[in-house]
This record gives sequence, structure tokens and C-alpha cells, in this order.
Amino acid sequence: MSANCGSSRLRRSGVKHRNCGSSRLRRSGVKHRNSSASRLLVHLVLITFTGLTLLPVALVVRKAITPGQEFELTLNPIPSRVTLDHFRHVVGASLPDGTWLFGRQLLNSLLAALGTTVLGVFLACTAAYAFSRFRFPGRRFGLLTFLVVQMFPATLLMIPLYIILSRLGLLSNILGLVLVYSTTAIPFCVWMLKGYFDTIPRELEEAALIDGASRLRIFYGIILPLARPAIAVTALFCFMTAWNEYILAATFLGRETSYTLPVLIKSYVGEYGSTQWGSFAAGAIIVSIPVVALFYALQKNLVAGLTAGGVKG
Amino acid sequence: MSRSPARRRAAGAVLGALLATSLVGVTAAALYLRARNAGEQALAEAPARTYARHLAAAMVGSGAGHDQVQEVVQQIRRDGRNVVHASVVVEPRSTKYRFLRKRRYLAHTERSRVRQALDPRRAGDKEIYDLANRVRHKGRIVETRAPQGKPFEVIAAEPVRLGGRHVGMALVVTRPRVIAPGVPAWPLGLGIALVIVLALFAGAFTRQRYLVVMAAVVCFALYARSHLGQLEAFYVTTIENQAAGIGTDVAGRPPALPGWPLMATTAIALAICLLGQIRVGERVAGALRSHHVAYLYLLPAAAGMLVLVFVPFGYGLGLGFFNHAHGSYTYVGLSNFAEILSGGGRPLSHPLNFYFTLGVTVLWTGFNVLLHVVIGLALALVLKDPLLRFKGVYRVLLILPWAVPNYITALIWKGMFHHQYGAVNHVLELFGIEKISWFSHFSTAFAANLVTNTWLGFPFMMVVCLGALQSIPRDVYEAADVDGASRWQAFWDITLPLLRPALFPAIILGTIWTFNMFNIIYLVSAGAPGGSTDILITEAYRWAFERADRYGLAAAYALIILVILLTYTLVTNRMTKATEDTYS
Repeated sequence: MSANCGSSRLRRSGVKHRNCGSSRLRRSGVKHRNSSASRLLVHLVLITFTGLTLLPVALVVRKAITPGQEFELTLNPIPSRVTLDHFRHVVGASLPDGTWLFGRQLLNSLLAALGTTVLGVFLACTAAYAFSRFRFPGRRFGLLTFLVVQMFPATLLMIPLYIILSRLGLLSNILGLVLVYSTTAIPFCVWMLKGYFDTIPRELEEAALIDGASRLRIFYGIILPLARPAIAVTALFCFMTAWNEYILAATFLGRETSYTLPVLIKSYVGEYGSTQWGSFAAGAIIVSIPVVALFYALQKNLVAGLTAGGVKG
Repeated sequence: MSRSPARRRAAGAVLGALLATSLVGVTAAALYLRARNAGEQALAEAPARTYARHLAAAMVGSGAGHDQVQEVVQQIRRDGRNVVHASVVVEPRSTKYRFLRKRRYLAHTERSRVRQALDPRRAGDKEIYDLANRVRHKGRIVETRAPQGKPFEVIAAEPVRLGGRHVGMALVVTRPRVIAPGVPAWPLGLGIALVIVLALFAGAFTRQRYLVVMAAVVCFALYARSHLGQLEAFYVTTIENQAAGIGTDVAGRPPALPGWPLMATTAIALAICLLGQIRVGERVAGALRSHHVAYLYLLPAAAGMLVLVFVPFGYGLGLGFFNHAHGSYTYVGLSNFAEILSGGGRPLSHPLNFYFTLGVTVLWTGFNVLLHVVIGLALALVLKDPLLRFKGVYRVLLILPWAVPNYITALIWKGMFHHQYGAVNHVLELFGIEKISWFSHFSTAFAANLVTNTWLGFPFMMVVCLGALQSIPRDVYEAADVDGASRWQAFWDITLPLLRPALFPAIILGTIWTFNMFNIIYLVSAGAPGGSTDILITEAYRWAFERADRYGLAAAYALIILVILLTYTLVTNRMTKATEDTYS
């Protein structure tokens, strides 16, 4: 309808120029062919903008491989001297009693992320299947609830969660974090998976039902294998949610040995000038590489999921 | 929404029962708390009041002999475990007791405080002077106060009169263990009014539901008569006993509220409803039976959400009505909300004023979303050109900020804005501009946050715009070109309207994300200077975890944020629906 409306308005304005329409067309064609200069300009603008966008990342990479803990005052991203000391310092961090601190924190992060992935995918798959395949009282309400919950981050529930987790004895415990992370990730995952399940034809299930397969068998024998791409994205989303989360971890985790990596990395950036930028840069790179790689591997699906969820709201 | 009459009746009955029960519950709980708090307050104030009266009487009775007064003070000191200050303050102009002029404080329970108080340069002296003036003009004063960072104190000041002349006051300060501040009555009225209005609008007050509510109210009245009366009697007798002789141990707890009357009321209300509508249970059971597979699949996620989203949410809702201090919670009604919404007595320009923070939040969200959309759309329009080379490379490089974890982004930019070593100041110096101390002014700190979040957020909008632009058929543009439309016209009349269905949800999502963008504010500017760049969500966090554990206030903040976002979503949802209707 908008196209109609727009073009009708255009047509109205076009009436005036109708007699010179053909010459205009020719002129615009010329413009297209003759635009190497303007294209160069476009490239220049794009290169500048991309350069500006990449500069902070480049500076961090440079800092990570140059000696010294302070930022250098130059914008040249190519380091003058190269060292891996910062990486060695970050990875080799250990407590006086010989505990390998970085190893513990990496393990915590991995446990939190993988736990969230497993739990989140399981919960989201079953719930999305129910929403996609069954019509039951409360379905609409349930879907709406998941949509609304998706809009409010766990930070808002932090105080009650803090109190509840401390009552349950799950503060400073990775299990507590896993529970919180998976519930924050579920609503988005449910919406995304439901959208994907909806596209799987029902006929497949009906055929299987006639052949005598049980509901459960259909779910894990037909639906889950067919939805593999969507489940991969869900898993990634859960993983990233848990891997990248800082403030809940910083608030809930008390002991250094129970920290996750984000808390460690923040601890390198002190409040009053005691910042170890070199260690921070090295840590940031170590933590970012897996998620950035995963993100690039699945970014197209993520975007589709995000916008689909949004449009339906 | 074509429900059968039976089902509607059943729903009405359940609603009626729920409303009646909540009415009874809320009223009973609030009245009980109110009575108990008032009793606690009186109980806490009683020792100070009694001691002050005793001291004043001793002074008058003894003709203000120094030794006698001293003796009484010693006696108070011996038996009053919580007394921190007991003294007699005599007006300097009193001519009769000349010797008192020099030593205004006859005796004291804490030696160091005597010295402090005698030194007129100390703050305490002015306080006592003010108090003495108030007592002279108003008579007896008993008040409770909670100085910053100190335990509650009860101050009792009794005027001393000799021969019809005011000569001074007896002052006693105690520090009782717990004092429950009074509960305002109006939230109770408001709550009841709300329930009644809700019931009326829900159509719950029809025939037998009326009976249910009436039954509930009658039960409650009987209940209140017996138990609230007992409660009051308890406090009265305890305080009287305590006043009868100094030294009575008054530490006692009020009687607990027995649960059975409430349960009985609820049971009666439910029974009436169920007698009228027996089929309700059948229906619920039927739904569970016929859809049990669906509910089974939903169960794990629903249980998780219940425990970790809805229970905390309900907990937070409740917490908003309590005040937390030193590990104990006190019911304060709506005063947390009142404190926030009234600005907490701070001027509008104060960073801790709610409206200041709200303004900053709105400004922050607006600027960010605007910049995200403008930059994202501009880049998408440039990258859309099918003849552009390396567009895949540009696209991949430009979405890098989205891939980097946002706490790392925040910390990187915090370093970039460093006063001394930051790259931003370095660039400024290259252009001959002096270094800026980014986090010591509101505008520059806000700009630093804004730059960081713009860097972080434009890729999302760019990708959304790119996707939407690709779905616009090329022949629309060709038709426009044939019709002689300029590029600007084509953009304004074709591209923008066709982008709207994809852009609107993205903008709504982006707005909600930015509104709650905790990490950037918390890690880049950290609210500097003086908390002025804090947004609502970081403000709530600080009240809970950085400023004296005010969980109740923070919960109230969180609730207000929820309400704002929910309203925003509902309004924009309606707008999107309207645009979808127009443009599809």
C-alpha cells in the first residue's frame, strides 16, 4: 500500500516532467556509468569510517603485544616492539598456594557457558515445541509473557535474585549463575525456535503418528534433527549470553577462585590509575576470540532471529 | 473472545473469590502491621519518656540540689541499658540556680560526651541548644530520629517548671534496639479502593459474589475486634508496667497474628464461590487432562521461569514496600515510591533526584537510538549499491563492534577517554585542541558514554537496514526514475516508508536495550561526575549495592523502570500495529 501511495505521489509530481521523461532517463544512465569518481569518494568515506571503527580494536591488539602496562600515545596500530609477556602474565596468574587462578576462572566461565547452553537449549526446545504444535488454554498468555520478559534484563531482578540465591546457598556458585543465565536467555530462544518449528511441515509428524510413533519419538526423532540450524543458533546465543555477562557475575561471585573471566578482566582496570592496560588487552583478546569467531559463524541467523522476534511483537 | 456463559460465570466467581481474599488479606495485614508498628514505636519511646519525666520530677522535688539530681542520673544509668545520654539543661537566664549557669550539664552517662557537649564549638551543643528552645516553646518532646549511619535514637525532653517558670529541661536519649517507623494509613485506603474499583470493572460484584465479599468483610471485622484489640491492650499494659517503676524490663514481643481467621475467611469465600460454580474445578482438570502433553513440554521452562523470573519479580514487588536497614526489613507502605517520585527532597538539578536521572536516561536513549539509526541507515544505503566492490569486506569489518562483548567495549573506551594516555585526547592534541578531562563534566562524560554506545550499537541497525533494503524490489526505484523522481524524493517516498515495518521493531528493541544499557554507563563514566551521568538502572543498582543496602528503594526503582518500559512497549506496539496496517 505504501508503494502505491508513494508512487502515486511521484506520479503526480512526474506529470509535470512527463514530456522530458526520456531525456531524464538518459541522463541518469549517464550518471551511473560516469560515477567512478563518486565511487572513489564512497570508498574513501567507507575506508575512513571502517578505519575509525576498527581503531579501538587495533589499539587493543597493539597494546596486548607491546611491552608496558600503559597505553602508548600514538595511533599507529603497528607495534614498535612485540612481546607475548602480557598473555603469559594473564594466563599464568596463580595464587600464592599454587592454585592456577586463570585455569580456575576459565573453567568457571566454560562451566557457566556450557551449563547455560545445555539447560537453555533443553528448556527452550521443549517450550517452543509446545507453543508451536499445541493449542492449549494459556498459550497466548504464555507467548506474550515470554515476549515481555525478554524485554527486561536480569539486572532489574538482581536484588531479589541476590537474596534468593543467598538463601539457597547458591551465591558464589556457578550453578546459581547457570540458572539465572538460562532463564534470561530462554525467552528469546523460545521465540526464535518457535518461529523455526512453525516452518517445519506438520505432515511429517502426522505421517509418523499414523506409523505409530509416540509424541516424544516424533520430537527427538523428527523435529529436533530438522531444526538443527536453529538449535545451533540458540545454543550460540545461550553460550554468548553466559560467556559475556559481567555485572551479575561481579555482584554474585565473592571469592577470586569462583570468578568468571569477565570479572577477572574488569579487575585489571582499576579505579584509581592502577590500571594494567597490557594485561587487560591480552585478557580481552583471549576472551573475545571465541565469541567473535562464533558470532561471525552464525551472525546471519542471529539477525534473522532477532528481527523475526521483534516483528512478531 | 466468545466464551460460554457458564465459563464466564466460573471466571467471574474465581475472580470474585480472589478479590475478596486479597481484600481481606491486604486489609488485615496492613492493619495488623500498623497496630504493631505503632505499638513498637510507643514501646521504644517509653523508656526515654519515663526517664525524662523522672529526671524532671527529681529536679523539681529536690529543689535542684546538685547531688540529688546526680543521684537520679546515676540510677537511670544503672538500670537503663540503652540510655546514651541523660542530663538536665538549665536556661542560662535562670537566676535562681546560679551555679547551674556554668555547668549546664549536671551529669552524664558518657564522660567523653560530657566533655564534647560542654565544648560550645562542638555540633552537639548547638543541637541541645535548639532542643532547649523548642522545649521552652512547645513543651514535652518525644521523637525518633535516624542520623546518617547511626542507629535509631529516641529523644525525650521534659520541660522543668519551678513556680510556674520554665527553668530548663531534662533530656534523655536512648538507643532502643529496633524501632518500627509508623505506617501511613492512606496506602491502605488506596489499596482497598483499588481492589473495589477492580472488582467493579471486572464485573465481579454480581449476586453471590456480593455475598462473598460481605462475608469476608464481616469475618474481618470480627477478627479485627478480637485480635487488634488484644494487640493494643498488650502495648498499653507493657508501657504502663514499664512506667510504674524505672528498671522494669520491657523487652517483649507483641502477640503474633494467628493465621486461622484469615484462612477461615478465605475458605468461606472460596466455598461460596465453588458452591455456586462447581464446574470450575472440573474445567481446570479437563484442560489439564486434554492438553496434558502440551503442558508437560512446557513444564521445565515454565518451572524455571517461575522460580527465577516470577518469584523474584513478586519478591521485588513486595520489597518495594519495605525499608531495609542493618539486615532487618520494616514495612513502610508506599514511602519508597513516594521518596523516588517526589525527588527525595532534592532539587531538580541534583543528580540523585529521580526526574534528573529520568531526564538523563531519556536523553541517553534518544541520542543513542537516533545516532544508531542515522549511521546504520546511511551505511546501509551506501553498502546497498550492487555495483560497489568489496561490500562484503566492509560489512564484515563494520559489524565487529557488535561481536565484541560489550563490557570489553566499555573498558576499551574508558581507556581511550583516559585524560593522560587516552587516544581520544591524543587525536585532539594532533588538531591543536587541549586535553579534556572527560569524566569531570557532565556534558563530556555523557558524550564519552554516547560515543561508546554509538560505536557499539550502529552495526545492529546497519544490518537490519541492509536486510530490509534488499527486500525492496528494484523495479519500484526504476519506476520512480522513469517518473522523474529525484534521489531525495525516492529516498523519502519509497525507501523510508518501505523500511518502516523492519525499522520500527528494531528501534523498539534498540530503545529497550539502550534504556537498560547498564554496562556502558557503569563501566565507562561510572556515573561521574557525582552520579550525574547515571541512568535509572545504574541508579537502582547503586542504591542496592553501593549506598547503604537500600534494597527496598532499589526494588521500587526497578518497578518504576518496569512500568516505564511496559508503557513504552504497549504504546509503540499499538503504533507499530497502526503502521503495519497502513503500510502492508
